[in-house]
Amino acid sequence: MFIFLKKIFYFFYREFKVNISGFHDILTNITFFFISIFIFIFSIGPQDKILSVMGVSILWTLLLLSSTLSLTKFYRDDFDTGNLIILHLNGFSFEFIAILKTISHFIYVQVPFIISIPIACVLINIPMEKVYSLLISFAIGSFILSCLGSISSSMNLLNKRNYLLGSVIVMILSIPVIIFSVGIINTEENFISLINVLFGILLIIFAINPWATGACLKIALQNN
Amino acid sequence: MKFLLNPNSFQNITNLLFKPILIVSLVLLILGLIFSFYLSPNDYQQGSTVRIMYIHVPSAWMSLMTYMIMVIYSIVALAFRIPFGFIINTAVAPIGAVFTLICIITGSLWGKPMWGTWWVWDARLTSVAILFIIYLIIIFINNSFENRAVREKIVAIFILIGSVNLPIIKFSVDWWNTLHQPASISKLSKPNIDPSMMTPLIIMTLALMLVGISIAILRINTEITNRKNSL
Repeated sequence: MFIFLKKIFYFFYREFKVNISGFHDILTNITFFFISIFIFIFSIGPQDKILSVMGVSILWTLLLLSSTLSLTKFYRDDFDTGNLIILHLNGFSFEFIAILKTISHFIYVQVPFIISIPIACVLINIPMEKVYSLLISFAIGSFILSCLGSISSSMNLLNKRNYLLGSVIVMILSIPVIIFSVGIINTEENFISLINVLFGILLIIFAINPWATGACLKIALQNN
Repeated sequence: MKFLLNPNSFQNITNLLFKPILIVSLVLLILGLIFSFYLSPNDYQQGSTVRIMYIHVPSAWMSLMTYMIMVIYSIVALAFRIPFGFIINTAVAPIGAVFTLICIITGSLWGKPMWGTWWVWDARLTSVAILFIIYLIIIFINNSFENRAVREKIVAIFILIGSVNLPIIKFSVDWWNTLHQPASISKLSKPNIDPSMMTPLIIMTLALMLVGISIAILRINTEITNRKNSL
């Protein structure tokens, strides 16, 4: 038991080292997010009324787009260097690898977005009460996005022709997330019930994720 | 029923049945078009535009039915390791995409005179558009992998994930307030549609189903022959 926990700790330690050495990738993601906000404001025009109405939906759309940008790297590096096989030989099943990688993707890719949300809200003039609900909804929704990203990127491991397919799959599956999480922010009365619906979606997808990802990883490793 | 699971007996039976099915489908299609354009009455509110229904509704049913067939066959193929399901998934997906496209186009042609717009962001319309995009993604996955054994399993997994959309399409008119009307015809209750309009609808449904089946037979046989040659 202790050895197992130690293995998990070293997995996260290695992920930490890899992500710190490639920190510019994460910074590039966040820069993309802010530049797209600027471009949106240039194209709409800087009227405060329109921005405060449309701001939340714009923010969510841009967060979705910019967090799907780095999905091709989700399993690709570990797959090419053979780390997936080493992890499997160390006693992790593919399903457990999927859970661990999803959590580390959430920590190292989505949490920087959560940190940068308040700054973006200042830019778009979103009132302070909405920022809290935006943070809660993105904290749940980004975990759903990580699970979907894990499924789609493991599907596309052997896909050498069509690189955009993974992002398209994530975006088509994330439509309910967008509907409910923007609905949370725009209504005051149904807050708790909509949070429950979003949390239910999270639990369903978190339950599906390891099985689908594990099957895809097995197929990819067998046929490589 | 062995021919539904075994490529060889499927080829044997469909070689016998293909020409009769094609002839019957053409006869039914011509008969149904004559019925729907000349022999059925005008609607008292919609006038002559109600005739769009005789293509719109059967193609919508066919798009859902094609996806349902793909779901059943991918479960069979993944769970019982029967590769014939993968052949059907590859062959049938473009047919479903075309039926969905016909449904969307005729629907927007019908919506312009009746509702006043080509497109509304309504629950039924949006979910059918998502179904069309899911069909497109299935076709893209089919074309973008080099290894066949990988590609067919991933298509089956994606079909199973995308089947979440089917109940949403079916019940979207009941769960939300939509501009699209709820279903007029259901199994459990007496249909609230006149027999003079019901007859061409049923004939067109059968005709489109048989046309779809005959195209599917051609495509499945081509796929089987391709796989036999590549072995």
